[in-house]
Amino acid sequence: MPSPRRLSPAAVAVLQVIARGVRHGFDIMDATGLPSGTVYPILGRLERAAFVRSRWESPTVAQREKRPPRRNYEISGAGSRALAEAVEHYRTLSRGGRGTPGLAPKPQRT
Amino acid sequence: MTPRRMNGYPAEPSEPPWSRDARATWRLCRSVVAIASRIVPRGGRAEWRAEWLAELYYRLLALDHAALLDGAARRDLVVRTLGALPHAVWTRQSEWRFDMLMQDLAYALRVNWKRPAFSLLVIATLGLGVGANSAMFSVVNAVLIRPLPFPQSEQLVYAFGAFKGGDQASISPPDFLDYRAQTRAFSSFAGRTPFGTAVLSNADDPERVVAPRVTSNFFSTLGVQPMLGRGFLPEEEEGGSHKVVVLSHGLWQRRFAADPRVVGRTIPIDGEPHTIVGVMPPVMERIFGDQIWLPVPFHTEEMSVRRYHMLRGIGRLRPNGSLAQAQADMDAIARRLEATYPADASWRLRLVSYRDVVVGRSETVLLMLLGAVGLVLLVACANVASLMLARATSRESEIAVRTALGASRGRIVRQLLTESVLLGGAAGTIGLVLSVALVRGVHVFAADLLPRMSEIRVDGAAVAFTIGVAMLTGILFGLAPALQAARQDVAAIMRRVGRSTGSRNAIRVRDALVVGQVALSLVLLVGAGLLIRSLWVVQRVEPGFDPRGVLSAQVTLPVDRYQTHDAVERFWTQFLGKVRAIPGVERAAAATMLPLAPTGDTYYFVDGHPPASDADKRTAQVSVSTDDYFATLRIPIVQGRALGPEDRALGSDSLGYGTIVISDGMARRLFPNGNAVGSRLVVDVGRPFRAEVVGVAADVRAFGQEVEAPDILYFSFRQMTAFRSGRNMSVAVRAGGERLQLAGAIRAALHTLQNGVPLANVASMDQLLHDSLATSAFRTRLLTAFAAVALLLAVVGLYGVLAFTVAERTREIGVRVALGARAPRVVAMIVGRGMRLVTLGIGMGLVGSVAAVRLIRGMLFGVDALDPMVFALMVTLLALGGLAACLIPARRATRISPMAALRAE
Repeated sequence: MPSPRRLSPAAVAVLQVIARGVRHGFDIMDATGLPSGTVYPILGRLERAAFVRSRWESPTVAQREKRPPRRNYEISGAGSRALAEAVEHYRTLSRGGRGTPGLAPKPQRT
Repeated sequence: MTPRRMNGYPAEPSEPPWSRDARATWRLCRSVVAIASRIVPRGGRAEWRAEWLAELYYRLLALDHAALLDGAARRDLVVRTLGALPHAVWTRQSEWRFDMLMQDLAYALRVNWKRPAFSLLVIATLGLGVGANSAMFSVVNAVLIRPLPFPQSEQLVYAFGAFKGGDQASISPPDFLDYRAQTRAFSSFAGRTPFGTAVLSNADDPERVVAPRVTSNFFSTLGVQPMLGRGFLPEEEEGGSHKVVVLSHGLWQRRFAADPRVVGRTIPIDGEPHTIVGVMPPVMERIFGDQIWLPVPFHTEEMSVRRYHMLRGIGRLRPNGSLAQAQADMDAIARRLEATYPADASWRLRLVSYRDVVVGRSETVLLMLLGAVGLVLLVACANVASLMLARATSRESEIAVRTALGASRGRIVRQLLTESVLLGGAAGTIGLVLSVALVRGVHVFAADLLPRMSEIRVDGAAVAFTIGVAMLTGILFGLAPALQAARQDVAAIMRRVGRSTGSRNAIRVRDALVVGQVALSLVLLVGAGLLIRSLWVVQRVEPGFDPRGVLSAQVTLPVDRYQTHDAVERFWTQFLGKVRAIPGVERAAAATMLPLAPTGDTYYFVDGHPPASDADKRTAQVSVSTDDYFATLRIPIVQGRALGPEDRALGSDSLGYGTIVISDGMARRLFPNGNAVGSRLVVDVGRPFRAEVVGVAADVRAFGQEVEAPDILYFSFRQMTAFRSGRNMSVAVRAGGERLQLAGAIRAALHTLQNGVPLANVASMDQLLHDSLATSAFRTRLLTAFAAVALLLAVVGLYGVLAFTVAERTREIGVRVALGARAPRVVAMIVGRGMRLVTLGIGMGLVGSVAAVRLIRGMLFGVDALDPMVFALMVTLLALGGLAACLIPARRATRISPMAALRAE
């Protein structure tokens, strides 16, 4: 199972959009601006990591609108935690590496 | 797992009531998705398609309704749909993930662990096959395939002297100089003496070393640069004042402690000071076994006689030159020489690729062994295939269950693949260890039997190749039935669960595999049987002398202190006297040639019948010995008398007749009327030597038991003052008691007479006789081992098939027993089935053997390649092995109780 650290920036973007309530594949593409060949594999990975759950829309609703049912994605508890951690991680990186092992200057011995 | 099979996943949307543009876009996108969905693993394909189509439909519907479906929007939508392709590819490759691989691996480990007998059998069988094959291939690669370790070694050519009486002779030095001066085909043509030893005495312990004489361009022709100093200069070929020596790497390390300042030092060689001018890299002694090199002294008297043949040529062809061109070139020179020196006509050079000379006769033996070990691998693979088939059959239900639970075919194939690879990996590891051990064994046990020994090491490519073959076998036979099972109707298999499984097909394949194994084993058994019988025959060939209790050693006296024949003779008389005085010594004699160490031959003819032409010239081996020689070696005198004190030295006028003893075969051929004794021969010993035959000695197999006894001329040491100086002789000592102590006592006796002379090549004649058969014994042992392994594997294979049959037919047998079938009837049923396969295999094996024995015909001695006894014996052996394999499952079948069989349902 990939650790939150290993979430790519694109995956974080997708997860963030889902957390905001965007639920369908094409809508996620619109919201993130990522191409379909990127978004779907990310969704697959996130689902396999149990960071998102997917459910098929109820057929009755779809039938009422005369279209096939769509697949809905939603974030899980683990996904929210992973997102928070990943966001924190990227934020630290962008702040210049404080707290990142190996990047912090070593304390001087006196 | 990503793709869940959803029960209520949406049906494909029908044609929507849209505008024409929307409809066209929809059709285009739908076909893109349809194409891409082919890539998606079958399990999740429908769901994958549904998601894409639903999104597309929704988007198109929305855009069409809002009248926003312009060209740009349509293009965007199509581009977005094209993303389905990478998405589909991703779904496929994402199944090959590491954690899944680990999962497969863990499962494979568990599966193999739960069936230790099966796993161990597969691993051991494959490991054996892989190990033996990669070891054998490593040897073949080092000896036969890898080029010689010289630059452009394919240009190197070896030259023998050839005449009507033989084509493996040497070249006379004057001829050599003419060839070297006139050749156009060779960029460089060098010469060396094929033999030659020298005594090195730079320290307390003098040592006899291999010391050929080489021409000055010898090293440069081979393309070898000296490590230290230089090679020989052209003027050093003159002989005389140029006393120089080049050391081999090994000798330099051993006797000179790898001293880098050794060049320029002077060391005594054969009692004369020589200056060290260079040290050669290890490659030279690896190929030649030489220890030091001395220049050919072309201008000495000995080297100026066109009749004395003592050099072999090594030439380097010009780039793009061919062996045939070179041969034509040398033949033209030979014709010119013939015209110039008619007395030495009929000699020419025979050129052979140098690689073939180095490889020599080992090529056929090695290829035969490689073929044999390949057959073993085939038998091993057949065994593994059979085991895998059996297991795949018994796992049909497991696979069916997994398929029913939603495992895709790819997933199951991957799982089985992992299991096969795991077994193959384990077998490969064992095989690698085994081949390292085997190659080490070859170094220890076959040290002098193969050329290029030091280059033999385990070959990574060979190991990889054999593991590959082995794995492929496992995969092929483990996978095919599994695939079939995965394709089959799951329900049908599930219904069969617990009852007899196994498709007719798999059973037929396993039967065929057993038949093949039996056939291949018979081929190997017959080959091994023939070699064993041949060795047995050869070992019982009378050598013509009695080697038991005889110790032999070589003594070379320094030239400077033994200038005259008298001095040499005095030494030998005193030395042999001292040796005879050693307690336990019965007899002792010295000779220039002992059996198993032949030195050289010469021309002769019956007095009054000189050869009409060169083609009629006869040659015979020459042995010059002290009295007592025949008695010491117990060579029977069949006619006349042995040489003794009455054969006195001849006067200085060499016109008087000497005395001679000839070998029996020669006497019979020359004098069919039995009147050999009293007749006279003329022998070429540099000058004509006339001798009266005083005795006929029994034939001696001087080249070893495998080779016909040569013609031998025996001379008394006292009469051969010039021909062989007698400074280099072998002693033979017959004694009871401890041999090592004897060697010490002889050495002590030698050193009281002459310090600084080594007693070289001390060996018991027994051992020498034994060693002369070492190559035959080696290949016989190897082939026997291969045949034994193949037999074992075939028996195990047959056992496996029958055991499986019994297990499979438990119910049927139970019913038969319940209906009154007696034990013998059940046994007959099982044994009959097994022996049918064995008989079929033996039939095919006989055909194969008749074809295969042609390959080893040349290695047989005193045994016909189609020896009926060997064939009968091996067929019996195989049949007995097969019977043993049948009996265990048959016995088990008789113990099946009807109740238990029915309960097993």
